[in-house]
Amino acid sequence: MIECERLTKRFGHLTAVDQVSFKVRKGSIFGFLGPNGSGKSTVIRMLCGLLEPSGGKATVGGFDVATQTDEIKTLIGYMSQKFSLYDELTVIENLMFYGRLYGLRGEPLAKKRDELVALTHITPYLEKRAGLLSGGWRQRLAMACSLMHHPMVLFLDEPTAGIDPVARRELWDLLFEFSSQGMTLFVTTHYMDEAERCSHVGYIHMSKLVVCGEPDELKQLPEVNPPDARRLDVTCEHVTLGLQAVRHLPGVRTATVFGQSMHLLVDKTTTEDFLRAELRKAGISQADIRPIAPSLEDVFVALTTDRNQREVLA
Amino acid sequence: MKTPFRGFTAILYKEFLTVRRDPLTLFFMLFPPIVEMIAFGYALDTDVKHIATLVLDEDRTTESRQLIDHFVNTQTFRVAGYAQSITELAEGIRRGRAYVGLQIPPGFTRDLRAGRTARLQVLIDGSNSSIAGSSLNTALNVGFRDALLQLAARTGMRELPVEVRPQILYNPEMRSPNFFVPGVIGIVLQIATCFATAMSLVRERERGTLEQLLVSPLSRWGLMLGKLTPYLGIGVLMAAGLFAVMRWLFQVPIAGDVTALMFATVLYVFALLSLGLLISTRAANQIQALQMTMIFLLPSVFFSGFIFPRETMPWIFYAIGSILPATYYIELERAIVLRGAHLGDFGMNIVVLAAMGLFLFSLCALRFKQKIA
Repeated sequence: MIECERLTKRFGHLTAVDQVSFKVRKGSIFGFLGPNGSGKSTVIRMLCGLLEPSGGKATVGGFDVATQTDEIKTLIGYMSQKFSLYDELTVIENLMFYGRLYGLRGEPLAKKRDELVALTHITPYLEKRAGLLSGGWRQRLAMACSLMHHPMVLFLDEPTAGIDPVARRELWDLLFEFSSQGMTLFVTTHYMDEAERCSHVGYIHMSKLVVCGEPDELKQLPEVNPPDARRLDVTCEHVTLGLQAVRHLPGVRTATVFGQSMHLLVDKTTTEDFLRAELRKAGISQADIRPIAPSLEDVFVALTTDRNQREVLA
Repeated sequence: MKTPFRGFTAILYKEFLTVRRDPLTLFFMLFPPIVEMIAFGYALDTDVKHIATLVLDEDRTTESRQLIDHFVNTQTFRVAGYAQSITELAEGIRRGRAYVGLQIPPGFTRDLRAGRTARLQVLIDGSNSSIAGSSLNTALNVGFRDALLQLAARTGMRELPVEVRPQILYNPEMRSPNFFVPGVIGIVLQIATCFATAMSLVRERERGTLEQLLVSPLSRWGLMLGKLTPYLGIGVLMAAGLFAVMRWLFQVPIAGDVTALMFATVLYVFALLSLGLLISTRAANQIQALQMTMIFLLPSVFFSGFIFPRETMPWIFYAIGSILPATYYIELERAIVLRGAHLGDFGMNIVVLAAMGLFLFSLCALRFKQKIA
């Protein structure tokens, strides 16, 4: 549904997006991750026809983003970071406006509106002005507005930024529903748990796409799982104290705290007993150690540090 | 399905709702022009009448008193007081008690009767040029007329040999509001209308809703026309209000056809709204839009012929005036309101206004980038 080939965008001397290539299949949920300023929004804007690519090629639904923007516009929905709504219009008026904008009139317009109102449960606020809605409701309304014309591809630029956890979960439930109906979703996010729920993820760092694929596939990558190392979860009291104790031990490659436990990447030859003994020296008597598979965060951390090191060497 | 004005009705729907929802903005659009017009209309009264005059009558005869009466009867002068010496007379003018000092020296009547030249002196404060000019002309006229009457009497004639009978057409009382107020309407109309469209598109850019519009299949012509149409209605309504103030508050009769006047107004407002849209395609924020609007509008106050006649301007200012919509509108407006002219008499102005409107509108639609930079 979406294909990018060496897609590039330069603003003067700055290369915001550097030769990014990926494919998104119809009906999948593509999670696009990366730190602020890494080029996520720029990619979305190019795919929506808002920005002209400086190089490479991209198609949405088979149409070229550089030349066939008119065809693409009827095909896509776009929900920007700011949930661009008309604050002085009511919820229902916002919906009607966006429907009309895409050429809907009369019966089909009313039907679509009622359908989306029911889907987003926004019924109690229909006559309220959009400017008076809370963040979660604004986001729902913005999404409903971007769905009025039943797009085949929906682009969501950080749809869950600043939204409470309940609203966040409900949004994702909706996204899964759309995806099951065959809609293609392209979502940017900062949240790793959201990334885990995507059918495909791409990670962009310093304008370059670091990795792209299914989350499970990525966790199997050799760069993430060196053959001579393994990942351990260490659950103990005083995790921060434990981290100090093991961080600089020979054989411990990385150590990161995850709540009540820490994740270690250690040499195959480093045993659990050795770690327990070291922890005991630091005054931690009880430690539960078990091998684990890498999380997506582990994947991205491993790949970016790997890349940074290679760049330093080069 | 693909029409050049795609999305027009959607934008129109939204703009009408926005305007209706925000009565304060509407109020601030409609109210200042009316206030400005009333202020301008009263302030720009250049009718010079009843100028304060000090009199130093050293002759004290029937003839000298008659002469003073002649001065007062012109309605140009008003006796503000009497001075006892020439120093007091000059002092009074310097202090601003009066603009004019009239000195009738002793022996005025004696010289007159003896057939010698009788002299009288008029001191005029030149610091206000229009008062000075008017005083000078009237004083000379009074002197000439008196002199001629004396000569005529000596030769036995009872009336003057030549009499000029001026007939002032179209503004018989020569009231200055009749000249200025229509011009003021042209000037205040442009500020409110130009702002309205300039702001409305820039606001969308600031709020991020423009980006949302750009990903939709909305066409640029549809966007521009949808933005412009509601304000065209408001602008014409506002003009009608201003004409009502002109007619009933300033008592300026509309000699010509009101329909013709409104037709010209529609063309003028369309051109101004297009100018506003053009500004909004360039301005990054509301402050910039405000400044750009002022840059475009200020010249029209000076170069449109609103106050100063264009014919006497240096060619460069004349040229600037000829690219301003206000120039053509004000000329047309005065012709219709004061002289009852027909549209056909000023066909050129209509054509120029329509062409300016279409040109500006097309330019802003074509220059509007459907990409974000």
